[in-house]
Amino acid sequence: MEALLGKVLLLGVLASLAMTIAGLVWQAIAPEHGEFERTVAGVNLYQFILESVRALAAGELRPSLMIDLGITIMLLTPYARVLASMVYFAFVDRNPKYTVFTGFVLGVLTYSLFLR
Amino acid sequence: MTSPATLFAVSVVAGFVGAMSGMGGGVVLVPTLTFLGLDIKHAIALSIVSVIATSSGSASAYVRDRITNLKVGMFLEMFTILGALAGAAITLVSGQRYLLIAFGVVLLASWVSMFVRHREVWRPVAHQDALSRWLELSGSYHDPAIGEEIHYRATRAWLGGPLMFVAGLIAGLLGIGAGALKVLIHDLVMGLPPKVSTTTSNLIIGVTALAGTSVYLAAGLIDPGLTAPVILGIVLGAFLGTRVLVRLSNEAVRRLFLVVLGVLGIEMLVRGVLSP
Repeated sequence: MEALLGKVLLLGVLASLAMTIAGLVWQAIAPEHGEFERTVAGVNLYQFILESVRALAAGELRPSLMIDLGITIMLLTPYARVLASMVYFAFVDRNPKYTVFTGFVLGVLTYSLFLR
Repeated sequence: MTSPATLFAVSVVAGFVGAMSGMGGGVVLVPTLTFLGLDIKHAIALSIVSVIATSSGSASAYVRDRITNLKVGMFLEMFTILGALAGAAITLVSGQRYLLIAFGVVLLASWVSMFVRHREVWRPVAHQDALSRWLELSGSYHDPAIGEEIHYRATRAWLGGPLMFVAGLIAGLLGIGAGALKVLIHDLVMGLPPKVSTTTSNLIIGVTALAGTSVYLAAGLIDPGLTAPVILGIVLGAFLGTRVLVRLSNEAVRRLFLVVLGVLGIEMLVRGVLSP
């Protein structure tokens, strides 16, 4: 269990950093790809991800999109860790108390990140 | 507006000084960014995203080594995330001036607690209260320094929980990890061994920062173009700072911590009081 959670965290951070570095380097090499400073005005993470994935599906791979994806992965890393903990408490440890606690944390995070 | 290169350079320094003094990057980053002319709310939002990066990176190693107590972490996270949501919401409606003053006060309070602290030797909790027992707040880890398995029990969960709400509130309000405060609660209130309290606090910090980030994201304060160089800078700086940290004596680290905290705390407080 600990090994799995450690891997989730490490992979999330490394993937995120790699995407972000790639995006920044690409931006520096080819600045014609557009503006650097953009504000994401009042979106929740769900909309942010949806927009990024839609742009990716449309083949619009640009430096800014790489950076967006890098940041998205960073934000999802602790979220994935909580999700993995809940699966562990529910199905492996079979600990109803901690399944409820972890579920509460996951519920609050889901509400604040995706639903608002 | 500050250029990405400047943001990167500043973040490397903040991450380096933060890691070397053991207090995390946010405490150095927010004052420096505001000094460069960035609005304090944007600085706080940028900082809290970078806190997720440094916390998740180091937590991955600690969790794997089985020092972190997942149950203590999950129980306390219920309180810190609610605190962080409340703290971030307060920041959105607060004036710049009050945020500068609050930041200064928190830094100076940390300065005082660091100055008067005498590291006591950890003693196992003799009596575990009923709630903490019901919550299964106990564990063990292998300490390579003495080559022994350390068994421990946590106590006073009824007090630790609400206090962690306050720690989460400060983290969300000011965009910092508030790790020092979390460790203090683990040590003094709940009686956890130092290694367990530091690593478990690290785990909690990531999720707490994510809760705060969600509020700043919804408010449109998180700009991916500015966030990217800050995240990279903080992580690189923290990586280098940790390398230097292991070579310094505890007393040298403590002195550095006191100087940095004192200077930044007074600077923020003075700017807050003098600002219109």
